[in-house]
Amino acid sequence: MWNETKRAQYLAGLRAGISIILGFIPVGIAYAIMAGQAGLSGAETVLMSATVLAGASQMMAVGMYAQGAALVTIIVATFVLNLRHLIMSTCVMNEMREAPLGIRLLGAFGVTDETFAMFTTARDGHSNSMFFMGLVTCAYTSWVGGTAIGVLTSNLLPDLLSASLGISLYAMFVAILVPNLTKNLRLALLAVLTAAVNTLLRNVMDGSWALVASTVLCAGIGVFFVPLEEQGGAEDAR
Amino acid sequence: MRAELILLCFGMMAVTYLPRALPAALVDKLKFSPRVEKFLKLIPYTAMAALVIPGAFTVDAARPEIGIVGVLVAGLLAWRKLPMMVCVIGAIVADFLLYLL
Repeated sequence: MWNETKRAQYLAGLRAGISIILGFIPVGIAYAIMAGQAGLSGAETVLMSATVLAGASQMMAVGMYAQGAALVTIIVATFVLNLRHLIMSTCVMNEMREAPLGIRLLGAFGVTDETFAMFTTARDGHSNSMFFMGLVTCAYTSWVGGTAIGVLTSNLLPDLLSASLGISLYAMFVAILVPNLTKNLRLALLAVLTAAVNTLLRNVMDGSWALVASTVLCAGIGVFFVPLEEQGGAEDAR
Repeated sequence: MRAELILLCFGMMAVTYLPRALPAALVDKLKFSPRVEKFLKLIPYTAMAALVIPGAFTVDAARPEIGIVGVLVAGLLAWRKLPMMVCVIGAIVADFLLYLL
């Protein structure tokens, strides 16, 4: 089971996951600060990170909790916000067919916007289950760890620094996107179209629905005009 | 730890894990046509575009320029083929300086 190749693939995933760590720790801290303000204890704040592993929905949940929303309402809102993982997990699992069911179900817990983005755009040779498990290990430990750091240090961290760290996950997506888009102008066009459609849809529906709708709709449109040569998503998971 | 919060966490976990696990359980039984394969390969790019825009512009809701500058700096560094880590740190530093101004 655990041979040299798999070990090397897992280590490669851990290495590629360093960028995820860099993004998750500050966002984990930000979430912990919000949770503290919403009245969650330190242990409750960390428990939510350890069980849910979905930053945006956790921030929304503690926000709703602070406003006195019913638990059922929060859970339904979480479900809607995280439905996008259905599409993302389909993309990830399509590349992980070779893995046994147990590994796939374990890996599924770690499907986030970030692990999905890094895994599905990784170079050929990195689209294997152990590489993904390496990414997930980084994501999970840094998310739970970042939350714990936030619980412990929320009073010590300068506001300016924690505010500046908010950009890190967006910067990561941009850093993955740009090298691929400059190599494929039609793909760049598709990204611009998606951003425009998402921005428009946000005026008529909830943000999480707009995200899913524009992602799926524009990928469907892209099938007809974007060439994808055998690049497996091109260079990149530096 | 309050029972109410434990219930909330595990409820959220269940509804978040379900859509994540469904494709993991079913992928054996699905065989995608080339067209669907292509659709799935395009999803990461459209998803990332939609995740960044317009969300990044409200990273600080009161100051849209924080998000705009951060994204531009990351984009410029990535365009110059710098490693991802440099792009991320560059965006953080740019925003930090912007806050200091």
